[in-house]
Amino acid sequence: MPDERSEKQAAAQQAVDILHEISTILNCHLDRRMLSICISMIENGVNPEALATVVKELRAETQNGLAEAAPRRR
Amino acid sequence: MTKKSKTPCSTTLFEPCWWLCEPIYEDATMTDRSTRISNAIDSLITHIVPTAPNEDEASAQARHNNCFELVKNILESPGSPSIASDVNHASDLIKRKLIQTNPSQALRFSNLYTRLLSLPVLNQKWAILYLLYQLSDSPDPNEPQPISPARPSPSSHSVAREAAQRQQGKERAERHDRTERLDRSGRQSKASTPAPSSQQDEVIKDAFAPGGLRRFPPDNARQGPEEEKASPSQSSGTEIRKDARNVSLKSTLLAVNSVEIEPPESALLRDLPFTLQGLSSTTLPFSKENTLKLPPTLPPPIISLLHTLAEPSLLYRGLSDFVKSPAGGLLGQSIRSAINTELRSYLSLVATLEAQIRRALSSLDESAPRGGIGKAGVTLKRCVVWTREATMGLRLLSLIAEESKNKRGGQLISLIHGFSTAHGDPIVAAFAERLLAHVTRPFYEILRRWIYDGELQDPFLEFFVKEQRPSEDDRKDMKAKGLMSSWNSKYEVDDAMVPSIITADFAQKVFLIGKSLNFIRHSCNDSAWVEAYSKTSSKELRYGDTATLESWIDEAYKTTMARLMSLMDTKFHLFDHLQAMKNYILLGQGDFIALLMESLAGNLDRPAGAQYRHTLTAQLEHAIRGSNAQYDSPEVLRRLDARMLQLSHGDIGWDCFTLEYKVDSPVDVVITEWGNRQYLKVFNFLWRIKRVEFALSQTWRKCMTGARGVLQSTDPTVLQTWKSTRGTLAEMVHFVGQLQYYILFEVIESSWSELQRNIRREGCTLDELLQAHTAYLQAITQKGLLGARRKQHSPSTDLDNAEDRNSYMVQLGELLRTMLAYRDSVDGLYSWSVSDFTARQEADAAELLRHHNRSPDGGGDLHDPFAKQVKSELPALQERLRLLGSNFRTRLQILLGDLAYQPDVDMRFLGVAMNFNDVYQPAVKRRNKAATAGGGTAGEKGSEKGKEKG
Repeated sequence: MPDERSEKQAAAQQAVDILHEISTILNCHLDRRMLSICISMIENGVNPEALATVVKELRAETQNGLAEAAPRRR
Repeated sequence: MTKKSKTPCSTTLFEPCWWLCEPIYEDATMTDRSTRISNAIDSLITHIVPTAPNEDEASAQARHNNCFELVKNILESPGSPSIASDVNHASDLIKRKLIQTNPSQALRFSNLYTRLLSLPVLNQKWAILYLLYQLSDSPDPNEPQPISPARPSPSSHSVAREAAQRQQGKERAERHDRTERLDRSGRQSKASTPAPSSQQDEVIKDAFAPGGLRRFPPDNARQGPEEEKASPSQSSGTEIRKDARNVSLKSTLLAVNSVEIEPPESALLRDLPFTLQGLSSTTLPFSKENTLKLPPTLPPPIISLLHTLAEPSLLYRGLSDFVKSPAGGLLGQSIRSAINTELRSYLSLVATLEAQIRRALSSLDESAPRGGIGKAGVTLKRCVVWTREATMGLRLLSLIAEESKNKRGGQLISLIHGFSTAHGDPIVAAFAERLLAHVTRPFYEILRRWIYDGELQDPFLEFFVKEQRPSEDDRKDMKAKGLMSSWNSKYEVDDAMVPSIITADFAQKVFLIGKSLNFIRHSCNDSAWVEAYSKTSSKELRYGDTATLESWIDEAYKTTMARLMSLMDTKFHLFDHLQAMKNYILLGQGDFIALLMESLAGNLDRPAGAQYRHTLTAQLEHAIRGSNAQYDSPEVLRRLDARMLQLSHGDIGWDCFTLEYKVDSPVDVVITEWGNRQYLKVFNFLWRIKRVEFALSQTWRKCMTGARGVLQSTDPTVLQTWKSTRGTLAEMVHFVGQLQYYILFEVIESSWSELQRNIRREGCTLDELLQAHTAYLQAITQKGLLGARRKQHSPSTDLDNAEDRNSYMVQLGELLRTMLAYRDSVDGLYSWSVSDFTARQEADAAELLRHHNRSPDGGGDLHDPFAKQVKSELPALQERLRLLGSNFRTRLQILLGDLAYQPDVDMRFLGVAMNFNDVYQPAVKRRNKAATAGGGTAGEKGSEKGKEKG
């Protein structure tokens, strides 16, 4: 069913567009790819609150890693 | 997040679709789902967590694994079941948040939301929205953590990609900045992110505690009390962290670049309050009166800051000196007190500042860079900002203080008022206005005393009304001119001292009020009324409400003026006196004047030296008793007096006699010495006319009665002489009659009614009365032919003076003298006729006797020479009468000629009335004659010259 599939794809594309826009409004700092990953995880039943924590946590991790890296480099 | 993804994915266009390739089915097994989730986690980690460039593969892997474990833990920890899985709930949360921060975006969101709802693809829309909501306003992961220096750019990236990322990052940063400005509520969640991990853990734990809604606090403001209780450490902690982050950011940056200064900023700050109060301190000593010595070791930026801070200090010193300096007057004192009040509020500012500095210095962390001053929150720069407004005020104050040094009284008020009204800066204007309220207080006190008590209580001569203190010479001079009166010369307005808060008009009114009150109190002896008035109507005057002030002053003005006028009318009978002046001095009371003249005539014909005051007063008394004047009030009659003017040789009584009406203290303000002299002038003129009339009528009567008896003659020449004499006499009687009629009725009566109309008007003030009276007198003298005939604007040469003297007054004087001389001649003729008659009678009798005695002896001889002698007198008399008659006629014609060209209608009419049947030829040619005679004005001369040239 290529028709249905492409239709669905278009709809999904649209959904990502809309969600990305909302995320921009809300200053979520998510790019499309991350958004897609998140959407898929949530569609797979991941708790959104937990996911939000994860994203924040991972970001913090990154910052820390860099912060650690910085003095080392200095 | 600049990490190339390990997941195969070539273009972004396909990205959103990859999860669609594996559609979720309801019957998907648990393992299937978990593998997919772990895949996703994997890609998420690789997407978010970058690999440090110089890390080896193993450690990167380890990190990755760590992360994976962490995520797994989080995800598998029990979620909060209480969260409603309702799509509307999540969207409501977002909407509410957006409406608070950015309404336009909220609208856009609801559009997007409806579009999202209509899409068929997603099953867990609420969850996604909720995720976004949770992630909202998270800090841009691209931004470096504030304290840390810029992140090293990963060198392994492809250039294009990095550029794209940077671009994206910048945009995000901008957006982020924008919302940060708008959205204070977002700070909390944002601030929590870069916190140390131990705190972060706590936060996370806290966030995962069961409790549903309370973990969506959109902002602090909406936090309910129970939430505050639940997470006090969280909210306050984040607040502090946020502040700390801001300050620490700045101070760290400063610390890196700071150089140690000597003396340190903390020492400067410690000394600053003293400096601001104008006191010397160790670091900042005042070397001279107005010099502040700055330590030379400081770097230029600090020096310039200290320069700015030195300004208020120096200004304060100058001003406190000014306040201590002795003031020359009440207003000077009040301005000093007002400045002192302002200085006190400045000192309280300094005190607050000092408290701040003390607190900051005590909490100072000595080990921190720059003595930790940056963290304490009080720096020299801040002090500059805090003292900025005060410096403006001090500047204005010192400007005022400087300018006020050589100004007094009203000028001071004008100076400050100038600032408050004519300064464009509203702050300056408001400041000056505030100052003005204090400064004007003594002024209004003086004003109040002046307009309610009529007393000038102004020890330092600051008010705009001042007592006149002319020098002794001036005073004599004024007295001679008759300007000296308690009304006109006691006080005067000093225009330079009228403050600009009061208009000139208003000042004049104020001046009049006080002057009237003073006049009532001192000249009218009615201080009881003044005191009662000041008790009842005295009001506190102050600066500000000009309209009310004006209405009060208007009211005071009306009251005082009405009182003054009623006093003048009832107590001092001013109007009665004016009436009496008109009746007696201006000969309004005909019967009295006629009687007086009749009874005095015999007496006055004698030389002036033979006049005695007691006879005059006796005759005056007789005239009063015998006429209607006896019914006048004794108050008036008491003042009437007859006396002789200064004698000069050869005068007879007529020339010296004068009536006098004495007025005393308050009334002499109206009937001034000048006025009195005008009255006398008019009286003398009228008296002379009256006398001529009286003389002429006496002669006329004699002639008429004599015509039937003694004047009968057979001699045709004598008859002819008498005929022409009678004709001329009739002319003269007509002339005098017309002149009297004109002066009494056309001039005096009309001016009088004008005066009455003016002074009886409602709300007439004393000044207006004075003016009206002066105008009245001027009208009488001017129209009554007593004024100068020509205006004296032409250069005053002798010729002009001669011309000037040739005024109506002189002309009329000549005419009257001619008439008197004519009358004397007529009397001479009469006596001649009588003697002729008796001679003839005697001759007849002698003839008869001779006839009877028939003795023609020396009787005829004896008679003849006498008769011859008498006869010889007739031609001389004839000649004289003829000469005087023609003289009169010429002079009258000259007068008529002048009157015909008079601008005043009434005076022209006098000419017409005198010459009603055109018997005279008005002498238009007179001018030429005058010119040839050597008189004549420059204009006539000019025309004369023109004629000669022609």
